[in-house]
Amino acid sequence: MDFGFGEDQELLRATTRRFLTEHQSLAEVRRSLEEPDLFDAGIWRQGADLGWTAMLVPAEYEGGSVTEQPLVDLVVLAEELGRELNPGPFLPCNVVADAIAHFGTDIQAKEHLPRIARGEATCAWCLSGDGSPEQSVVEVRATRDGGGWRLGGVARYVQAAGDATLLLVTSMDHESGAVVNLLVPRRATGVSERVLSGLDLTRRFAEVRFDEVSVPASAELAGGWTVVERCLALATVLQSAESVGASDRLFTATVEYLKKRVQFGRTIGSFQAIKHRLADLLLDLEAMQAAAHYAALAYGDGLPDAPEAVATAGAYVDDTFARICGEALQLHGGIGFTWEHDVHLFTRRAKVNQVLYGDGAWHRERLVRLIEDTAEE
Amino acid sequence: MDVIVPPIPDAYDEYREALRTFIAAHKPALAWKQRTGVRVPDGAADIGLLRGYVRALDEAGYRLDRFSSEPGDPHQQRIMEQELGAAGVPHVLGNPLVAGALKHFGTDEQRAAYFPPMARGEHIWTQLFSEPDAGSDLTSLQTRATLVGDEYVVVGQKVWSTWAQWADFGYLLARSEPVEGAGGITAFILDMHSPGVDVRPLREMTGTTDFNEVFFDEVRIPAGNVIGAPGEGWRVAGASLAEERTSVGGAGGGAGNDPGQRLVQLARRTRRQGRPAIEDGAVRQQIGDLAARSRIQRHLGQRIATKAMKGQITPADAPIAKIWFSELNLQTTEAALALLGPRSMAVEGDDLAEEDGRWQDAFLYARAWTIAGGSNEIMRNLIAERGLGLPREPRGQPQS
Repeated sequence: MDFGFGEDQELLRATTRRFLTEHQSLAEVRRSLEEPDLFDAGIWRQGADLGWTAMLVPAEYEGGSVTEQPLVDLVVLAEELGRELNPGPFLPCNVVADAIAHFGTDIQAKEHLPRIARGEATCAWCLSGDGSPEQSVVEVRATRDGGGWRLGGVARYVQAAGDATLLLVTSMDHESGAVVNLLVPRRATGVSERVLSGLDLTRRFAEVRFDEVSVPASAELAGGWTVVERCLALATVLQSAESVGASDRLFTATVEYLKKRVQFGRTIGSFQAIKHRLADLLLDLEAMQAAAHYAALAYGDGLPDAPEAVATAGAYVDDTFARICGEALQLHGGIGFTWEHDVHLFTRRAKVNQVLYGDGAWHRERLVRLIEDTAEE
Repeated sequence: MDVIVPPIPDAYDEYREALRTFIAAHKPALAWKQRTGVRVPDGAADIGLLRGYVRALDEAGYRLDRFSSEPGDPHQQRIMEQELGAAGVPHVLGNPLVAGALKHFGTDEQRAAYFPPMARGEHIWTQLFSEPDAGSDLTSLQTRATLVGDEYVVVGQKVWSTWAQWADFGYLLARSEPVEGAGGITAFILDMHSPGVDVRPLREMTGTTDFNEVFFDEVRIPAGNVIGAPGEGWRVAGASLAEERTSVGGAGGGAGNDPGQRLVQLARRTRRQGRPAIEDGAVRQQIGDLAARSRIQRHLGQRIATKAMKGQITPADAPIAKIWFSELNLQTTEAALALLGPRSMAVEGDDLAEEDGRWQDAFLYARAWTIAGGSNEIMRNLIAERGLGLPREPRGQPQS
């Protein structure tokens, strides 16, 4: 039993951390907050050279992973990117690449995957009208049109849509009642997006409208709702890992602060009321790591309990990230309430992660359904 | 990354089959009802039957390597744990904590003298650590062992000793050195049949008797029965307690190994506002939360096992596992009682009781886990001070 990262993965972690520290640290991200666009295409390509978008892409399409467990490799990257509250489209690029690699035709793979792996194409996933992962709220309508499809409607709260060159659009064919997933260039005629003024300052989300958009049949990813299920599971695993990385950094910074801050003539970290709260936070952090790592392992290796493992991560990790942020803010006191301190950037990220790709309640409900399927009467 | 324990080779099927047959043939029928937690049989006849069962196992070659200086075949060990654990009667008699102490700090003679009878069920052991005035603050213990010639003379009182009412030997911590605090403590092997040992069973809130008070009135212990060196007792105890806490965390005991499944089954059988409780959204959320945390308990255990393998254990690991398990266990049993509603009022022995009162008993016993093995407050101190490096709690002045 080895429930830890291997040497090659630790090397990947060190390389990634060094790169981010030098080129896209949180301090750097903070400086670009007021810019209209957080996305830096140059950095993104360098990241792609370091494997940010290649792990889930097969070697024949210019991809490749560090170890035999690509998803665990990717989790290492996600944790490091999470530590810096990285604004890049890491999650949607990998989710869409994986969907194409798994469900796409050879032609689709050849067209898109090398460009994603190289960092030339960036992706977004248009899931639904209110951002939640339910068929009933898919608001993009697909209508058969000659040999292809015509799209109309809207997808909201789409991560990184403003920076994307390629959209994976989940739509509904009302004639057949089937879910249709289509690969659509963001610059296709009739596609327009509006970047939202958002709670999370270190990432951008958009509302994407489709007005009589023509899409050829060759752009369809076979699989219907199973495509969505796979994307969701992967998004949950990756987002959990980002949350773990961010939580780890914020927790460590909080402990360090409480060892230095003096009131009543003693460091406030020496008060038992504070120590016990920090002990609880370490418990939270260890637990979220355990949940996130097992989910990556189980899902990546196709273990029989992978669905439960992903639901467990979804049920626990992001809510816990938010709790850690709340405690970190409170324990910092007034300084934690200022714009200049980073704690609000983590808090904002956490509040958004809580509701993306199924919130905690959604994953808990899913876990109960999975248990119901196996529990004897 | 891997958490898959290597499968047991097919060649061991025969071994497992033979063990099963052996258990079926030798397992005693006890008058005592086994409940969740670390519970102790309440009749001398049952203890006799269990001693016979464990001796038969040992004579047939089924020996756990915790009672041996040499590690056994790992596959056979796993099969034994699985099959003996599933047998439904205890196969480790007494508190085995001393085995770890003897393994790391004992002499060859001590191991040779005590391991075999422990493995045979001939020696039942108890742990003599806590005192009425030294619970969480164990280094303030006051039981004295005074060296007179080549014997120590012990005077004092212990409490919370499981199995003491049936024990042949005790793993004792007493103050023998002229120093305050941890440095004055020595670990001893105490013959519980010695003159001056008085065991008084406690009845706990569960209504059962699993713990005891033990009084020492000038009890004599040969100097050769010290474990490790005089004054080294705190280190000896620390090593064996850390093992206990991890195993408490890994035990999964209490509410059963899959609380999610058990709660779903309970919610199906329970009605709320005219429909099965499992259809209630609030109930489903609560079960989902507890089920997720019970899965995480398993993964925390896997994480710690990996750290142990790599020599990366931190002082926070065992306390984290202990807090996680004990608090989740308590919340799970509380959720079950809430689900049962008014039906939770009927306990074991009443016709109306659900599953013969197992949830009520598990709830009451759950209150032991958050205190035993180091209270969760002490665990939080350990995490903060030894795990995170925060300043130690100041010691108060002794009360006069």
